[in-house]
Amino acid sequence: MHRPGKKNLLALGDKFRIYILFVLVFAFMSLFAPRFFNVFNLTSLLKSISMNASVAIGFTIVMICGQLDLSIGTVITFAGVLVLGLQPSLGFTAAAVVAVIAGGLVGWLNGLLVTKGKINSFIVTLGTMTILQGAIYQFSGGNSISVSTPEAFVVSDFLGKSLIPLVTPRILISLILVAIMEFVLRRTRAGRNFYIVGGNRSTAWLAGIHTDRYTIVAFVLSSVGAAIGGVFSVLESTSATLKLGENSLMYVISATIIGGTAMSGGKGGVLRSVIAILTLEMLYTGIILFGLGNEVKIFIAGLILAYVVLYEAYATWKHEKSLGQRPELMKELAERAALAARPASAE
Amino acid sequence: MSDALDKRSLDSNSVGKIVNAAGSYGIALLLLALGALLQFTGVIHSFLSVQNMLNIVDTVALVGIVAVGMSFVTYSGHFADMSVPTTMGFTGYVCIELLRYGFIPAIIGALVVGLLIGLLNGFVVGKLRANPIIWTLAVNYVTMGVIRLIWVNKQIYPDMRGSGQEAVALFDNIYRFRFFNLIGLPVVILIILVIAGQFVMTKTTFGVKVKLTGSAFRAAKFSGINVERVIMAAFVLTAFTATISGLAVTSLSRVGAWYNGAGYDFKAVTAIVIGGMTLAGGRGSILGVLGGSLIIGILNNVMTLLGVGTFSQDMVRGAIFIAVVGVSAKSLRSLGRDDA
Repeated sequence: MHRPGKKNLLALGDKFRIYILFVLVFAFMSLFAPRFFNVFNLTSLLKSISMNASVAIGFTIVMICGQLDLSIGTVITFAGVLVLGLQPSLGFTAAAVVAVIAGGLVGWLNGLLVTKGKINSFIVTLGTMTILQGAIYQFSGGNSISVSTPEAFVVSDFLGKSLIPLVTPRILISLILVAIMEFVLRRTRAGRNFYIVGGNRSTAWLAGIHTDRYTIVAFVLSSVGAAIGGVFSVLESTSATLKLGENSLMYVISATIIGGTAMSGGKGGVLRSVIAILTLEMLYTGIILFGLGNEVKIFIAGLILAYVVLYEAYATWKHEKSLGQRPELMKELAERAALAARPASAE
Repeated sequence: MSDALDKRSLDSNSVGKIVNAAGSYGIALLLLALGALLQFTGVIHSFLSVQNMLNIVDTVALVGIVAVGMSFVTYSGHFADMSVPTTMGFTGYVCIELLRYGFIPAIIGALVVGLLIGLLNGFVVGKLRANPIIWTLAVNYVTMGVIRLIWVNKQIYPDMRGSGQEAVALFDNIYRFRFFNLIGLPVVILIILVIAGQFVMTKTTFGVKVKLTGSAFRAAKFSGINVERVIMAAFVLTAFTATISGLAVTSLSRVGAWYNGAGYDFKAVTAIVIGGMTLAGGRGSILGVLGGSLIIGILNNVMTLLGVGTFSQDMVRGAIFIAVVGVSAKSLRSLGRDDA
């Protein structure tokens, strides 16, 4: 029995799952959460996702390539600490550039170790994560760094002041980055190649794509995205705590998977991840607005990640179980067996 | 004839294993020699004292206990269990909380909680084939959330919940009890675990099953091994050893805190990798892992005596970790023994 209409609708629903989820959560929070639907809260919502949004861009590309980058959280903090630590001697612009380049170098190293060293990506990034953790504490002496010079406040005011309602320069930067990367991934040949590399590495190689080069670029993009997120977040708040990127890994992994990027690679999109981050952030803001406290928020964030990983694993498991199965054939065989058994039982 | 051949190949294998295991002990001895040299040249002091050696052995015990359990996960080809830190923290909390009902119920309660976490990990990774690192990381966050939810960021002390003096004293002694006033209880536990682990890994059917699961998952599955149960057992073993180590750490610091197990996941993986166990699975031995734990312990001690800060030690450990993984993968590849 084929019911193409229903099937198409379901497929469509699955395809736009994240957008539907976004609308639902937004509607729910606007209706029920106190003090949710106003310009101030929505602006602060966008502000609070602008760091993780730029982190999610690169992370999604790494995941499309079929790899994983566990070091993003520490890259965020590293870049944040670096920019405030170097700012007195270099000035803001140069310090920010150095911090982003340093982030890019970390990504380059990750990529090199994964492709040339042929080590599993999460093992490599676990190592760089530990090294960076040490570097952060070494550089900052274990304390948060903050600046209170007039220039710092000028920069902070500029980044945090609304240009038009809901949009501050920092949010705009993240939006532009998302738009550019979404365009590159969808419309350019280089962008499409990331999907081929992640979907089937050997096919990509046979088709003449430099798989190693694309993987390295993906890791560089991931770290640069994380560094940009860290730098602008720190510049706006004028202080870099050592816990800046602590929860980002958890948020970004869950958002990327909810957004429909497959952990096995070859599938997904930047915009979807960012919408998922926005959805999650609305949920967390809602939890706080309902007065449930930070502990509940962290607990639920962990639970969501666990659920998402579990769901993805379950879906893959079910899919693999159904591979090669032919229900019609099994039914026919069962019928035949029943027919064969009937005379035997009659006797 | 064929029997003799089999025997010979087995022999050469076990010789190879001993050489592999001895490799990590060789490095440990070199590090000891380096420490001694540094002491004789007057750069560091008190490295060769009995007290310092005991310190090394004690820290090795805490890491080594976790590493012995986790090496089954690595051996079965599932890299590592990242939920170890909060498993250690959580079981410590549970034990202290239950101390008022007596020492034995508290230990049993902590073990039950630990085993439940292990079962959950084993089920999801073994049955549903979730990515082990991501899943255990998620479990780590969830457990952290549970700790924060129940105890709201508070640390708890053994003697503040109206628990009996005797139970508290016993709890304090988990870490502090010393046989002949010399060898600590964790060290003895580590030795027992290493012997038992080495026996299970090499002499039992279960060990062979884990090895096959790690080196050729599909082959293991299609040859009728219940891979799901094998993987589940590996994760339960990890949770079990993590619980023991968590109780020892909590007893050492005399406080239940979420950060009690912080860093133990990475230390254990590093010990496993340095000990010659490959992350691809199916290669290595528990004895080697013990050697790896020794290397980490001695290295940390020497660095601390040299005045290297904790954070620089993290960097050194991370660099060594990546280097060892890279070199071992490369050497296996060039030998044609690994296509990873």
